[in-house]
Amino acid sequence: MDDDVFDVWLRVPARPENVALARQALAGLCEALPTSPKVLADVKLAVTEACTNCVVHAYPNGLGEDAVFEVEADPGENELLVIVRDYGRGISPNTESPGLGLGLPLIAALSRTVEFRGGTAVSGTEVIMSFGLDDDLGDGNRG
Amino acid sequence: MNTQQIVVDTAENGVSVVVVHGEHDVYTAPSLREQLSSLLEDGNPVVVDLTPATFIDSSILGVLLGGLRRAREHESGFALVIGEASEPTVRRIFEVTGLFPVFPVFASREEAVSAARANGTNG
Repeated sequence: MDDDVFDVWLRVPARPENVALARQALAGLCEALPTSPKVLADVKLAVTEACTNCVVHAYPNGLGEDAVFEVEADPGENELLVIVRDYGRGISPNTESPGLGLGLPLIAALSRTVEFRGGTAVSGTEVIMSFGLDDDLGDGNRG
Repeated sequence: MNTQQIVVDTAENGVSVVVVHGEHDVYTAPSLREQLSSLLEDGNPVVVDLTPATFIDSSILGVLLGGLRRAREHESGFALVIGEASEPTVRRIFEVTGLFPVFPVFASREEAVSAARANGTNG
């Protein structure tokens, strides 16, 4: 597998209406793969939560032309790798978050593995998730 | 793509039923919040029927929790419908977050309406 080639690559403005676009792109990919309904549901929810974080938290100073999020997906034989990336301010505690703060714990619970990279205003944030395509039981994760 | 709709059915015996169709996330959360706030401020018992919903995320969960809290503040009934016909995706977020016990959840609209009318915020 070529590490630089992804089957799905999406780059969109970090606006709320684009979260569904990313979710449906990944759903379409999963439906073309031998995945169970549970894996499809988990991918949809985890990707939605990751993209929502980009929309809600990454660009607190508003949306310039660089305020985007990207989604990359690479299906392997037994595993789907999904990366959600923004170029915003990075992950930091936000006591004034309008949401429940469940996004990151949900991603961790739904994915087989998850890694967070970045966290600076220069590099933004990458959420790197893997999902077992043949997972059929229980919640993914891990530590 | 399923049509995203939030439809308020005519009140049944004084209970407003908010029917959530299709996929809902951060984009539609404000609309659902507004609907619930308006109904609960008027003192109406509210049922949120998630049977035709095909996807919800933590943004929507947050709105539902806010609705439950507001209902309790107003001593109004509040209940959810998540039945056998509900999408696995919708049930999944309640299961993973462990929030099923927090909400008054019923398998049918009839049961939910009865509970909400009786001010049943304990499901």
